[in-house]
Amino acid sequence: MRYLIIGSSAAGIGAVEGIRQIDKVNPITIISAENYPLYSRCLLSYYLSGKLTESGLHIRPDDWSKINKANMFLGKKVVLIETDKGYIQCSDGSKYYYDKLLIATGATVKIPPNIPSGMEGIFTLRTVEDAKKVDAAISPDGEAVILGGGLIGLKAAFALLARKMKTTVVLKSKSVLSQMIDFNAAQLVQKKMTDLGIDILTQSEVTEVITEGKNIIKVVVASKEGSDIRNCSLLIAAKGVHPNTELAEGTGIEKNGGILTDEHMRTNNENIYAAGDVAETYDIALEDRTVNALWTCAVQQGKIAGFNMAGTPKSYDGSAAMNSLNFPGLDIISFGNTKADENQGFEIYHYTNSHKNIYKKIVLKDNRIKGLILINAIDNAGLLLSLMGRKIDVGSFQLELLNDNFNYGRVLSYGGAKEKARFWHIGHKAGI
Amino acid sequence: MKEIFCRIDRCLGCKSCELACAIEHSCGQNLLSAVKEYPLPAARVFVQKFKAPGSFTISQAVAVQCRQCAEPMCAAACITGGIVKDESSGLVRFNHDKCLGCWSCTMICPFAAIVRERYCAKAVKCDRCEDRIIPACVEACPTKALVFCETEEFDEFYREAEAER
Repeated sequence: MRYLIIGSSAAGIGAVEGIRQIDKVNPITIISAENYPLYSRCLLSYYLSGKLTESGLHIRPDDWSKINKANMFLGKKVVLIETDKGYIQCSDGSKYYYDKLLIATGATVKIPPNIPSGMEGIFTLRTVEDAKKVDAAISPDGEAVILGGGLIGLKAAFALLARKMKTTVVLKSKSVLSQMIDFNAAQLVQKKMTDLGIDILTQSEVTEVITEGKNIIKVVVASKEGSDIRNCSLLIAAKGVHPNTELAEGTGIEKNGGILTDEHMRTNNENIYAAGDVAETYDIALEDRTVNALWTCAVQQGKIAGFNMAGTPKSYDGSAAMNSLNFPGLDIISFGNTKADENQGFEIYHYTNSHKNIYKKIVLKDNRIKGLILINAIDNAGLLLSLMGRKIDVGSFQLELLNDNFNYGRVLSYGGAKEKARFWHIGHKAGI
Repeated sequence: MKEIFCRIDRCLGCKSCELACAIEHSCGQNLLSAVKEYPLPAARVFVQKFKAPGSFTISQAVAVQCRQCAEPMCAAACITGGIVKDESSGLVRFNHDKCLGCWSCTMICPFAAIVRERYCAKAVKCDRCEDRIIPACVEACPTKALVFCETEEFDEFYREAEAER
């Protein structure tokens, strides 16, 4: 049995660890297009802000591949999967044979078409190399523009702020983090950012980039009120990512938004699995298939794929949009469908405490939790997430869900004796 | 592998375990100095009170701490690789130095057993007092509701309690 894994980030690492829990013998090969192995993308903004050094980005010990007996090949881009003969080919012509293959190629940052390529001062923030380039371009007297008000965009904005750059975030939607939290919650975030000196331009768009030679000097920002020219020496595009599904082209592997997977993270080819940002999975909140390009989901999916590749059937409960954030003075956790409308049959409960900057919102449908936003009172988040994930009927205690003293014991008290007996033994399994 | 269990029928919710845990994780290791420390040492065990099913008056309590899951979701969630399942001891190890306070683990722990340490903005969780033979919370429990034993032994407790009823 030869295992082959394309990609060495979250899903790839998870898969190796999953395989090695079961199969300690057979060879594992990892092929990565990047030159830096085993680092966490989520940490790049911390690196940029100066909170972490380059060595701090590593999430596994240096001898990880040795411990797990995995051969790692870096800087090799896979260009072809030959499913009939069972090998892959890299851009340098080398071939690797497999019996079980995992596609964990991740995703690429979307760059709007009106942003020119090959210019100095225009960046994305996806890899260590990207972060190093941005790091070199930071100058305290410069002005930075960030395209996109999502998680990556805002984290980058705070990092640049920490490096004393004047930063503007330009986003198309009505409020920041529009995929994650609702309008009211976003106002708290926006107020905090504005107070700290980050400009936020909502419902705006960069329509043109003005360059001088190879350097970017200004951008034209268009909004409802008209267009405005801003100085800009550094531009970061953070308008989301799209899955790297090119490898599936012409192989018969089914794809939609991402590569389609079943509950065992297997594609429609029985020897090929997919996990991470490239995989489309069942979403427990939306009850539909979607790509959740999130670190946590990627590690879990990788691990599940690893178990199944090694021959131990294990199914994945499904992914969900879930994010946690720590901005100065704001701790935010959100998951599921947070922007549901009461008109569509959702029940919504709010709690706001403006003195303590606390905001809580829970979305229910048919007595099941469908989404949650917690700001600054986040300690119960995991419990509520597991109630959502397991589709527990919360009808009998739904009014208590947002209370500070809602706790595991309360959930327990609504269960029968059987649940109670099981309660303390559950630690052995994943989930409650 | 020994684990910390709570016998719900014995727990009074007195929070002695919380106090003992905070003292154990303080610099001074005793109550008098611990209460004067800044930041205040945080407990890693949480006494949770709730009403007995179908009753509005009878109050029950239970002490919850990290369950040292076999497949820890917090380890998958941690973006810094600071939470690792140690296969040899069975413990889920938390590396305080690596923590950046992103709250991914708080987001995903189904027991809500990983919480924020507000002063240094890092997460804290039960380390099962690795340098002690009996964890501090178990030792401090006045009603012996907290027990440190093998899972099978605890099953025995449970059966006895059910039989007595």
